[in-house]
Amino acid sequence: MASQSPSKAEDLVNTLKTRFPDAVKGSKVEGPRRILITFDKNTFLDIAAFVRDGLGFDHVKGIAGIDEPTHKLIKVLYFTGSFSKTEVEDVILVLETELDRGNPVIASAVSVWPSAHFHERETFEMFGVKFEGHPDLRKLLTLDNWDGPPPMLKDIKFPEMGQR
Amino acid sequence: MDVSVGPQHPGSGHVRLLMRVDGDYIVSIDPDIGYVHRGCEKIAEYRTAVSNIPHLERPCIIDAIHLNWGYVLPIEELQGVVVPPRGQYISTIAAEMNRIMSHLYWLAINAGVFSGHTTIFMYGFGDRDLFIELMEMLTGARLTYSFLPPGGPRRDLPAEFQKRLTQLLDYFERRLVEYDRIFFSNPLVIARAKGIGVLKREEAIRLGVTGPVLRGSGVKYDVRKVEPYGAYSELEFDVPTFEEGDSYARFMVRFEEMKQSIRIIRQALEKLPKGPIARKAPLIIPEGEAIGRVESSRGELVYLVAGDNSDKPSRVKIMNGSFRNLVAMPYLVRNVHIADMPIIYGGLDYWPVEADR
Repeated sequence: MASQSPSKAEDLVNTLKTRFPDAVKGSKVEGPRRILITFDKNTFLDIAAFVRDGLGFDHVKGIAGIDEPTHKLIKVLYFTGSFSKTEVEDVILVLETELDRGNPVIASAVSVWPSAHFHERETFEMFGVKFEGHPDLRKLLTLDNWDGPPPMLKDIKFPEMGQR
Repeated sequence: MDVSVGPQHPGSGHVRLLMRVDGDYIVSIDPDIGYVHRGCEKIAEYRTAVSNIPHLERPCIIDAIHLNWGYVLPIEELQGVVVPPRGQYISTIAAEMNRIMSHLYWLAINAGVFSGHTTIFMYGFGDRDLFIELMEMLTGARLTYSFLPPGGPRRDLPAEFQKRLTQLLDYFERRLVEYDRIFFSNPLVIARAKGIGVLKREEAIRLGVTGPVLRGSGVKYDVRKVEPYGAYSELEFDVPTFEEGDSYARFMVRFEEMKQSIRIIRQALEKLPKGPIARKAPLIIPEGEAIGRVESSRGELVYLVAGDNSDKPSRVKIMNGSFRNLVAMPYLVRNVHIADMPIIYGGLDYWPVEADR
């Protein structure tokens, strides 16, 4: 699996850490093709713009919410990748941030990555995360008459499907 | 004036396209999806690692091997299970057969029916069934195979399978020549699809589209090359790309990909190593998160699987080609004739059930 040295991934992490010493809270390099960066949500758009322009990660593959009720958190993960820069085209760079479960708000990344448009709408609907500045933050997948809480939260249970 | 196309099956599944039209022109389009949303990601949290496999193939049954494989890769990574070489080759053969079948389905419905070409509809569906029969011989099911549990494929190649598959590939290669003659080189098809729905290279990158849509805009990006899984690193194949970025280029990418799939299967059958096909994998998913990806027929398919040392995943996130290519639809379907909409929609090979999950 490891066809190149893992140092390329570490280089990317170090570049980000030097550029944003306070905002980057943690990093994990899981193999040569997987990088996870944890960051402070207040500097999100600066980091996103740098990741796009400085590092070449030009699109979002998807956005995942993860609900952690025990820590009163909702984690939001941006999966970014690169089509235009061949040196990093095999890397999936995950930008992760933690939001307050009571009021999950983060700046929308659509201005940086237009590819985030529908992914943010989905995360808004499924986890209740508000993406400030999103051009069209509406419901997307659930039924028109669904007026319950965001269905992917862990405290929304469906006992008829079994134990969880 | 606003016109609602769908949700009663405007093409490949239930989706509603809200079109604002001015005379014969579409001014803007708002895709209203979710009519076939089934909460796959939520249901996956209630099912065990293995019983999730038949469940998670359902979003795109015509591409079941890829949906299954992408889900199993991160689980194998968390469990530390390595599939033996023979298992990797058999998975690769099944995946490429599935790619041909999925592209034939696209050719029959999304290209053939949408451009009013009934012959290619019958040809495509007829030939797809021959592959389905062989898949049934290999896996026991026509469409929903659940063939790749963690650890490796369920079955070895049955007797006579190699011979029959080789015969089928010989036949299918002759058919592709015929397809070219009656469809891809057909002046009527070219007139309808060429120059329609142009997505330039920079725009394709900016919108983050994937799969044949991306490669039709001249970006050479294929997970089988950038992050080889299965046996792909040991097999020779090209990644077909076209610079034009129109619907016709996307048609041609899929046509050329079927030829490459034949090439891959032939090599895999020839090089097929001996030995075990699978290893025993634990039933629990260890704690942690892993990301796996495959090149499905509709593009890059990324799975995030999080485990918590139980037999059920604590989170499964599916990032698939149809949902990613959706962003291109409002961009492409504007200032075009209403009659061009089906050709653009067909070129994207949008599969509503996969996008809605």
